[in-house]
Amino acid sequence: MLALRDVDVYIQASHILRKVSLEAAPGELVCLVGRNGAGKTTTLRAVMGYLRPAGGTITLAGQPIGGLPTHAIAARGVGYAPEESAVFGDLTVAENIELPTWTRPGGRPAAERVARAYDVFPRLRGFATRGGTQLSGGERKMLSIARALALDPALLLLDEPFEGLSPAIIPQLGESIAAIARLGPAIVLAASNIHHVPVYASRLYVIERGEIVFAGLPQDLRGRPDLARIVGQAL
Amino acid sequence: MIVRALGLAACAALLLLPLAGLPYTTTLLLPAFGYAIALLGLNLLFGTTGLLSFGHALFVALGGYTAAVLTSRLGVRSLEIVLLAAAATAVVVAGPVGLVCVRYVKIYFGMLTLAFGMLFYSFLYKFYALTGGDEGMRVLRPVLLGRPLEHLDTVAFLTGPFYYYALAVLTLAALVMRRLVASPLGLSLRSIRENAAKAESLGVSVRRYRLAAFVVAAVFGAVGGALLVVPTGLADPLLAYWTHSGNLVFMLLLGGFDHFFGPVLGAVVFILLQDQVMSLTSYWRFLFGAILAVVVIFFPRGLMGLLDPRRAPAP
Repeated sequence: MLALRDVDVYIQASHILRKVSLEAAPGELVCLVGRNGAGKTTTLRAVMGYLRPAGGTITLAGQPIGGLPTHAIAARGVGYAPEESAVFGDLTVAENIELPTWTRPGGRPAAERVARAYDVFPRLRGFATRGGTQLSGGERKMLSIARALALDPALLLLDEPFEGLSPAIIPQLGESIAAIARLGPAIVLAASNIHHVPVYASRLYVIERGEIVFAGLPQDLRGRPDLARIVGQAL
Repeated sequence: MIVRALGLAACAALLLLPLAGLPYTTTLLLPAFGYAIALLGLNLLFGTTGLLSFGHALFVALGGYTAAVLTSRLGVRSLEIVLLAAAATAVVVAGPVGLVCVRYVKIYFGMLTLAFGMLFYSFLYKFYALTGGDEGMRVLRPVLLGRPLEHLDTVAFLTGPFYYYALAVLTLAALVMRRLVASPLGLSLRSIRENAAKAESLGVSVRRYRLAAFVVAAVFGAVGGALLVVPTGLADPLLAYWTHSGNLVFMLLLGGFDHFFGPVLGAVVFILLQDQVMSLTSYWRFLFGAILAVVVIFFPRGLMGLLDPRRAPAP
């Protein structure tokens, strides 16, 4: 579904991503783990078209998408839930979820997409008429992901979905993400802590200073004590 | 509830006003109707999309001159055709102008719209043969719905048929705008106002939607402008001058840009207030400056915010 090959990204003069290669197949949940500033968000933003790669290729279902405008990438079925959630505060919860059903018509009917979003996050159903500013941090995270889901995405990019949430809500959100994974899109989930990587993750990439330093199955990390410091786990 | 009751009372008052034998007040409201239509458009751009234009008068003038050219040069007197032509001209002009302007936001957008407005002003002012220069162009009395109404004198025409005609166009414009704001287009525009980058990631083509808002605003501006010049019988270059654009922004702030009916209220109150204050003192601009300052500082949501304080204040 998604493939990055040797992607280089500069922000102003700084070389942020160095030859990053990453793949996510349909139905896979791929985790990108690294410390703050390692390049996780930059990777996702490059896929989303906010940043133009200086080198390498980004393809979606075999089609190159590097250099396309962000809205065109979204229209091809890439849902993005950024770390800061960026829920539209002036729009109600229902309007927030409804918006992508208009911007990306076709595929599943709008009603079904909205229903799926509420099925995954039943808690939001009760808040449908509330404004986006009247939500807690966790609810904003949920809404941000629900809205990306309403785009009917083939690929879903989740940037640190568990960051800054109360420990009480994390398992609930984890179950929701598992439910989304069962719906079939490829998911790339960025996390700064290995403890936030869901047990059902298909594969794992570890990124450090803009380079992918490990790619493989979660259990393969055990043989790599050098990475323990990066991913925050006593291996 | 109170707002709805007040609104109904205001509608009834507007409907009955011509029958009350107050021809002066009745003619006074005619420009307010024209402005209200133009402001509904301006508010789609500012209140809904978050782009503040300081050149909206360009389109008001465009509508005014379209009416002048059609009625006095081309012999087209039907007001329906004049309004449609004004709308079409607005689309033709706003397309390319908007393409340039919507590449920018905030102050840069404002300054560019100001620049285009002043360009058009200079054109109207300097191309004497085409536009009549500073003398402007005459706007002849239009024919309403195919009825010449030549037996009516000017006051009777304006306070009777034309008053109701303009009110009907305003009602129609408000209904169309209301549907637009509630449509997927309106939803996308509101998402752009809040966070354009985020809207983009949800598949909203930000530039295209901003352009759409710009063109729709221009159409409303031109239709309002065409109605505005009928009572005065004159289209002159000052219609496009930057102070006229400033007045439009003033009306919007006065009425309240975050309420659907803010623009309409702003236009009516501005016109009535201007009439009162001008008759009292020649320093009316000074007083209006003070009023604007008070509105911005103490009533950022305008008069509509005072009447309808339910919603949270705009951040």
